[in-house]
Amino acid sequence: MNRRTAPATPGDALAGALAAEYAAIYAYGPIGVRLTDADRRAARTAEAAHRSRRDALVLQLSATGGTVPPDQAGYALPFPVTDRAAALRLAVQVEERTAAFWRAALPVTTGADRTRALNALTDCAVRATRWRRSAGLTPLTVPFPGSPT
Amino acid sequence: MLRSGALLAVGAATVPLTGCALFDRDEPSPPPDPLEPLADEARALAARHRAAIAADPGLADRLTPIAEAHTAHADELRRLIGRPGPSGPATPAPSAGEGTRSALLAGLRTAEQSGRDNAAKACAAAPGDRAALLGSIAAARATHLEALK
Repeated sequence: MNRRTAPATPGDALAGALAAEYAAIYAYGPIGVRLTDADRRAARTAEAAHRSRRDALVLQLSATGGTVPPDQAGYALPFPVTDRAAALRLAVQVEERTAAFWRAALPVTTGADRTRALNALTDCAVRATRWRRSAGLTPLTVPFPGSPT
Repeated sequence: MLRSGALLAVGAATVPLTGCALFDRDEPSPPPDPLEPLADEARALAARHRAAIAADPGLADRLTPIAEAHTAHADELRRLIGRPGPSGPATPAPSAGEGTRSALLAGLRTAEQSGRDNAAKACAAAPGDRAALLGSIAAARATHLEALK
């Protein structure tokens, strides 16, 4: 995952998180197509969680007079999602990447904003662990979720 | 007579203590860093997972990455604090090496849950330059909880 420079203001950080949420929602489309049963239900639940973070961010950025970055018609996927294994691998990547944007919001936020960012980071990290388990990947965890290293 | 005798005895006992505190001290030690308890907890969590592996080697594949993550957390926290911590292995909780596998895992989950809450509180209260690491540690402990299910 390439990392841009650390955001300097809460508005920049939350705009970055919003762009990541848009991309995550987009990615769960092709992911869900390749999954069945419990995996597909988990993908739907994950997508719904990203949608509600997106909605909250749009509201918050609008209310504070910040710039609300627009959603895009499509996002480049890192590899073609042709089967279940690729779908699960992409789901892990999407969650890890989104976690990184929420982590980047922690240093520049305080109070309730920071708590929201931490909750979002934690949710992404836990979903990444669940996807690793579904994919049979080990270890199930990484030492520093959301960290570029 | 009895009463004044007792008072005298107490007074005599306090004199050398006061002298010691006033004159025999070296440089005052710096105030403890608020992250000290979290660093100690990370070290204790690592020891707890190692003790569980010793008690049930079949858990090694699952618990070793988690133990290593806690050690990495302790190292990073110590680096932030800027002072070395206690050396040698942390004393594991007495219950860590006993019981059935499900009891071992339940004990670890309880410890991870409480560790997660402590790290989340520390993240909320920390200055910006410490928030990202503390957020990653809180999120990591949440993923451990998931991996121990």
